[in-house]
Amino acid sequence: MSRKRGISSAALIGIVVVILAVVAVGAYLATRGGGAPTTTTTTTTSPTTTQTTTQTTTTAQAKAAIVIGVTDKVTDLDPANAYDFFTWEILYNTMEGLVKYKPGTLEIVPGLAENWTVSSDGTIWTFKLRPNLKFSDGTPLTANDVVRSIKRVININGDPSWLVTSFVKDVEAPDNLTVVFHLKIPCSYFLSVLATPPYFPVNPNYPNDRYVSDALWGGAGPYKIANFTRDQELDLVPNPYYYGPAPNNSKVIIRFYKDASTMRMALLSGEIDIAWRTLLPADIVALSKQSGINVISVPSTFIRYLVLNVNMSPTNNLLVRQAIAAAINRTQIISTALMGAGTPLYSLIPTSMSAYKPVFLTYYGDGNLSLARQLLSQAGYSETNKLQLTLWYTPTHYGDTEASVATLIKQELEATGMIAVTLQSAEWGQYVQNARSGQMGAYLLGWYPDYLDPDDYTTPFLHTGDNKWLGNQYSNPQMDKLLEQAQVTVDEAARNQIYAQVQNLLAHDVPIVPLFEGKLYIAASSSISGIVPSPTMILMYNSITKTK
Amino acid sequence: MGGLARYLIIRALVIIPSILILYTLVFIILRILPGDPILAVLGTKNIPPDQLENLRRMAGLDKPLYVQYFEYLFNVLRGDFGVTITFPSGVPISTYIAQRFPATLELAISGFIVSIVIGLGTGTLAAIRKGTKTDAALKFYSIAAYVTFIPLLGMVLQYVFGVYLKWLPIAQRIDPGLAPRTITGLYVLDSVLTGNWAALKSSILHLILPSLTLGIVLSGAYTRLLRNNMVEVLSSDFIRNYYSRGIRERKIYWYALKNAFLPVVTYMGLQFAILLGGMVLTESTFSWPGMGTFIVERLEYRDYTSIQAAIIFFAFIVGLISLIVDALYALLDPRIRY
Repeated sequence: MSRKRGISSAALIGIVVVILAVVAVGAYLATRGGGAPTTTTTTTTSPTTTQTTTQTTTTAQAKAAIVIGVTDKVTDLDPANAYDFFTWEILYNTMEGLVKYKPGTLEIVPGLAENWTVSSDGTIWTFKLRPNLKFSDGTPLTANDVVRSIKRVININGDPSWLVTSFVKDVEAPDNLTVVFHLKIPCSYFLSVLATPPYFPVNPNYPNDRYVSDALWGGAGPYKIANFTRDQELDLVPNPYYYGPAPNNSKVIIRFYKDASTMRMALLSGEIDIAWRTLLPADIVALSKQSGINVISVPSTFIRYLVLNVNMSPTNNLLVRQAIAAAINRTQIISTALMGAGTPLYSLIPTSMSAYKPVFLTYYGDGNLSLARQLLSQAGYSETNKLQLTLWYTPTHYGDTEASVATLIKQELEATGMIAVTLQSAEWGQYVQNARSGQMGAYLLGWYPDYLDPDDYTTPFLHTGDNKWLGNQYSNPQMDKLLEQAQVTVDEAARNQIYAQVQNLLAHDVPIVPLFEGKLYIAASSSISGIVPSPTMILMYNSITKTK
Repeated sequence: MGGLARYLIIRALVIIPSILILYTLVFIILRILPGDPILAVLGTKNIPPDQLENLRRMAGLDKPLYVQYFEYLFNVLRGDFGVTITFPSGVPISTYIAQRFPATLELAISGFIVSIVIGLGTGTLAAIRKGTKTDAALKFYSIAAYVTFIPLLGMVLQYVFGVYLKWLPIAQRIDPGLAPRTITGLYVLDSVLTGNWAALKSSILHLILPSLTLGIVLSGAYTRLLRNNMVEVLSSDFIRNYYSRGIRERKIYWYALKNAFLPVVTYMGLQFAILLGGMVLTESTFSWPGMGTFIVERLEYRDYTSIQAAIIFFAFIVGLISLIVDALYALLDPRIRY
């Protein structure tokens, strides 16, 4: 039978070759992490050295909308139940508290309150509100709204409510402009706690007895929420009733991505102007070599550490814990596993806080194998009788680099010649349960602060009872006493002295080995300016400008 | 058709025990898997133990397992899929299904159409060119497409058409601020119904890359299946008879395709379950806010009720599709009687 030939074999082969060429080009671009073809590579910033802080510029031209991509998600837009960093970022931009952080710093400055006084015993804090404050829908904001919002958090008893209930005995409004807090105990760091979202006054539409997860009424911040489609898009527009200056942009659109790679491509394709939380270290390296993209380093206050169970063999042996602390080489972990996206941490307190003392460096050095071997020998171990240690990690919760971090620690410990490490991993749900029930001997964890004060980096880890969640069974009455003393000491210098003792004791007892502070990065198109990186890890959107 | 109706009713009734068995398995597996949903969400947060217990009680996790099992089952029978345990807690899961399923359905339909179009074209061409280099090349294509890892293909397409050529959007369903007024939840359809042409253009552009990815991977099986069926049909007596009667070749191929297509219909029903599996990977690759990404996200947090509800819902959909395919098969082939 005769057959008509539609296309020739040669043409078909040609098509296949073209397809293969397209796939090859795509694969090449994917591996080199590039985007549009560049004839000259201009390194605008470097992930380890860059600190691009462009000051806010207000121009006469019309303000543009900014599109920000994130891989985080909004959990609960009601501050009575929101308890994660990115959702708090949205709340910081759409609401405001009595006090707030000065952009780019950890300094607390007046917010909705103009000024405040504290009683001599440190238990009564009185705040004076700015006059004529309004919510973003124009409703006047009075001291009664502040009181109602805080009592609402207590009443609803959601996830972050302990930030109020642990400190506040009562709150009252003697007049429309005055808010008075009566604290349970004198609290030297109350302003840091007060700067958190559970204390933000919310619009009167929020019901008293229940939280509203997709609430759009907001508060009295620089923006109001115009639209929210969960996991797709969140639109913010300037709040016309905000007491402060108007934002430098006309709108902020947040787009949600499932993974960092897609977000990086979205930045390169121009779908978003800014790629924010959270890019992978490899993406940072690739983007920093990309023309037209600025990579901005954010000094962060999230920490990573190794927990050692003080009641489980072999880490119940103090010498073993000290040897582990000596053998770990933080610099190597950061340069190899994190590609530079971190800073060595030699205490639980972050380096940006004045109380920070690099005690682990002083006591043990960094990757000090001879000291580690000496301590292990004292503990009765040798090259023929090796210490058997199981090191746990969770593979995805802290990003794709976690397995590399665990592997490097294993190598560093085994470099002593006297430790044999077995790596074990568990998914997050199981991992947390294992930790809380004290089933693991040595395990990696991370900490995002609730409030920015040394107390939040010490008490929850080291104070008996407060550290039950950690599962390492650590308890030291001397440590408890010091922590309680620091909580009520108002004078910063005196307080820092107490924390110096706390850190020394921590370095001696080694229930935890601090590893590093994480670094966050913002990658932005070169048309974007006015980004103010802050150690609070919160990006305030109102200073960001886009050149059209 | 009386026999067919009876058959379909029996098939429909069989779906119920299937879903019940699936629910039981999912319930048991989720409870056997270590990990507590409340702890998974709170992680390292320093919440007082009594508040943890309170959260567990609010989520109903303090009740004995058999109570949890039957309570949830009876609620599902009443059409209540329960509420989310993890963030944002207490939201009816039916709300999520209503929001997410249209996105999944829209992508599934377009991916399915792409796979059929490619599969039909390549399968027919391979059969017509049996034994030639074209046939060999298409054989290679069918195997390559079948084994291709969806995220890899998706990423290559994203780079080429999104980043490099900047022709197509690489993620999400639509450009910011363009979402049409919700009628069906299918953006393409809603855009047409509301006459929102900007939304129509944007939603179609956003559909192209994920549909192409899904469609290419699924088309491999169709290529092979259709090619083999058609080769068999083309060598049959009735086709030779057509040639001897001088019927035009194009018409003969059309008759052959119709005959060869029948087994493909059955396979399409089976393929739908595979399609839903592929959806999870496709949705993740393209940040598509559908049911696939919802299940993956909830699995990480052990959100029991959300996972149970989503799987029961999917099982119901797969059951329904297979029922439709059975009916379609009977209608296409008059020889089939029940």
